[in-house]
Amino acid sequence: MPEYQLTINGKSQPVEAPADMPLLWVLRDVLDLTGTKYGCGVGSCGACTVLINGKPIRSCQYTAAACVGKTVTTIEGLSEEGTHVVQQAWMEINVPQCGYCQVGQIMTSVALLQTFPQPTNEQIDEAMQGLVCRCGTYARIKKAIHKAAELGNK
Amino acid sequence: MQRRAFIQLSSFLSGGWVVAQLVPLPVFAAHDPICFQPSPLIKLCSDGKIIVYVYKQEMGQGVQTSLPLIVAEELEADPKQVIAEALPYSPSSGFNYSTGGSTSILREFMPLRKAGAAAREMLIKAAANEWGISVDNCRAQKSRVINTTTNQSIAFKDLIAKASALPIPKDPVLKNYKDFTVIGKPGVKKNNIRDIVTGKLKYGLDYRVPNMLYAVIVRCPVMGGKVASWNKQSVATIDGIVELFEMKEMGDQLETRSGVAIVANTRWAALRAQKSLQVQWTYPAGSNEKSSATYFAEQAARLQKAPDMIYNEKGAAVKDMPQPDGEWITASYQIPFVAHAAMEPLNCIADFSNGKFTLWGGFQNPGKTASVATKFFGLTSKDIFINLMPLGGGFGRRLSADYSAEAMQVAYQIKRPVQLMFTREDDMKFDNYRPASSHILSAKLGADKKPADWLHKIAIAPVADFLLGMKGNANWLAMEAEGGSMGDMYYAIPSLRSAVSRTPSPLVEGWWRAVNFSYNNVVIECFIDELAKKAGVDPVEYRLSLLKNMPAKKIKDGTLFDPARLSAVIELAAEKIDWNKKRGAGRGVGIACCFYNHAKAYTAHAFEVSVSKTKKIKILRAVVATDVGMVIDPDGFANQVEGGFVWGLSAVLKSEITLANGVVQQSSFFDFQVARMPDVPALEIHIISSNAEPGGAGETSVPSVIPGLMNAIAAATGVRVRELPLKNKGYTI
Repeated sequence: MPEYQLTINGKSQPVEAPADMPLLWVLRDVLDLTGTKYGCGVGSCGACTVLINGKPIRSCQYTAAACVGKTVTTIEGLSEEGTHVVQQAWMEINVPQCGYCQVGQIMTSVALLQTFPQPTNEQIDEAMQGLVCRCGTYARIKKAIHKAAELGNK
Repeated sequence: MQRRAFIQLSSFLSGGWVVAQLVPLPVFAAHDPICFQPSPLIKLCSDGKIIVYVYKQEMGQGVQTSLPLIVAEELEADPKQVIAEALPYSPSSGFNYSTGGSTSILREFMPLRKAGAAAREMLIKAAANEWGISVDNCRAQKSRVINTTTNQSIAFKDLIAKASALPIPKDPVLKNYKDFTVIGKPGVKKNNIRDIVTGKLKYGLDYRVPNMLYAVIVRCPVMGGKVASWNKQSVATIDGIVELFEMKEMGDQLETRSGVAIVANTRWAALRAQKSLQVQWTYPAGSNEKSSATYFAEQAARLQKAPDMIYNEKGAAVKDMPQPDGEWITASYQIPFVAHAAMEPLNCIADFSNGKFTLWGGFQNPGKTASVATKFFGLTSKDIFINLMPLGGGFGRRLSADYSAEAMQVAYQIKRPVQLMFTREDDMKFDNYRPASSHILSAKLGADKKPADWLHKIAIAPVADFLLGMKGNANWLAMEAEGGSMGDMYYAIPSLRSAVSRTPSPLVEGWWRAVNFSYNNVVIECFIDELAKKAGVDPVEYRLSLLKNMPAKKIKDGTLFDPARLSAVIELAAEKIDWNKKRGAGRGVGIACCFYNHAKAYTAHAFEVSVSKTKKIKILRAVVATDVGMVIDPDGFANQVEGGFVWGLSAVLKSEITLANGVVQQSSFFDFQVARMPDVPALEIHIISSNAEPGGAGETSVPSVIPGLMNAIAAATGVRVRELPLKNKGYTI
């Protein structure tokens, strides 16, 4: 089995995984980083979104080989105790219901706020439209992104 | 002091609070707190922890947040110290773990209040004894008992040992609503929110047990089809496959498919093999020719004949199928199959060792899963232990036990712990779908322009055909008619008939958020609008006139229906949407209401929309007025109402499951379309909160979304759409 030197959440480590195994399953099943969720496996829901070099990427559509030389950030690397402004905003707005999709929503929002520190509703819609929340927390997610922008500006 | 566990379990409260089996606590180490349980559902400990055991399953609706508030209120505990824990499943507990129908708060409100009040009285008595004073000179506040004469106080945690020795009050005095300081107050956050936003919360799919294997199943794509053969060589090059074997169908009430299980050392190996495995199937005659079109045609034909069951009939006999004689107004509606598509695909870990099953996963009805052990494997109810984990969405799908039954079958075969996962495609193609239904509504207006005669016929396969094993049973047709929306017509109509006919379904069906209200309420609220238009009466006025001066009455299921509360939400929604404002061409307002009898809720949704010539819908405003009586956790409640709105928008605009050649055509979120952020406008929520018995929110917030939006579109365009979803008629948002 091939071995890849991956930088995940700031830590460089060798990872053994089949060449065709999606990053999603490398994270979840090889490295036991289960914060990143499986929702569809075909890039249609966004639940598995992680940051690769700061960009939001569907980890189900990416391989370990493609991560070599790049930095991968998962929810586990965002903050240990939920201190990142986006997580703080999520808690303040009381966003989640079942919570399953929220990690993907949070990671996508983190990337959005790096591009647009004060995003408009249209920019938020554009960035978030690839993600599905069946509990229907979209309005709160939008509110929390604005809140995170406000907190990040303080 | 000798350390001992104080356990008092009693049956002093009615309503299933009998715990048949006392579980001895483990021997306590010196540092362990002393705890006592004045009821099976509350544990108070000398370390200050107050645990509320919640046996309703947490699937996002917030039972683990809202139910402890009820205890904290009556106990006079600091709500921050009150922690929810899932009560382990026990078949002998007498508790109904099944979670659905928006009934958790409705059913648990009084038992939890009584439990909290009993514990409070015991703590006060213990403190009074300590001070040598009367309980009348004590009160409880913020987890302390206060001596009202001296202002001395003792923390609950320091009263545990003494309180536990006291008798449990049989009839504790409940607080007055006016003294409530916890219930109905804003600012409550979801109990596990930090674990959610840090990714630490473990759902079933995140759980691992030692020595665990991974399984997926290649299921027959056509219902009733069977494995003829499979080619093991087709997956020979994939490393890590442990075993392939044929899956037996598990029959009525489970409705699992014939298929081939793939068990592997890694999930990725199992998933690769699932794509590659070549399987040949045999199909029952005709099963692989069924399609949505043929099923709807069958329903339409069935509606032209005499019904299987008349659910409700009153007044002068309504002819079964009125001829269009110019006086009868008739409309046909068609509602598709839809999937649940919870974000966490179905999964279950099962282990079978030493003759017993152990399971891990999210289950809305763990009792049904437990019954698989007895019915299918011939074990006793003691031979299964279920670890209840948070659900990544339920919406009714996890009331079924097909996924856990399959996991048990795999574990039984391989004798090792195994995690069975449905891929998203499996989850979509092997759902237990919301039934597809066809409706004929027909009415004749009286001289006062109100409906004088009313007929509603529905062709459907009852959910009970599958999940309760009731195929062919006429009584269960009633399940599809009962409810405020169809059989128990809530508008004053002197002569009416509601009737049901069974059309056996080509797909397995299940309960779906808002159940039969998601079709019956939809078509009735649309048709009432059609009648208002014929009558030349404003739709709000029309509805109100049909509820006016009607006394509160009990409907067939015994629920009290209060027309004044339904009128009030209609009036409030109309007022907030600025109903009477003049609007330009291409714009319209629409309204719909729902009395959700299962959960004692009254809701109305109103929309203002514009619709372009190319059928592009813009929702300019959306308003909901809702009255579920007392609201326990206002922000959690609002979250449910917002979620119900999005659920309804998906159903009205986009979502459908279609069938071709016996096979479900959708496989993921690119073809089973659901509302996404840009589709969802702001929802203006208006809550009528009262001291009426607290009802439910999850389902009750869905039904009137759908006809409300359909009525607004009809008002804007002058064209009535009678088939869902609207995308099939060219509408986009």
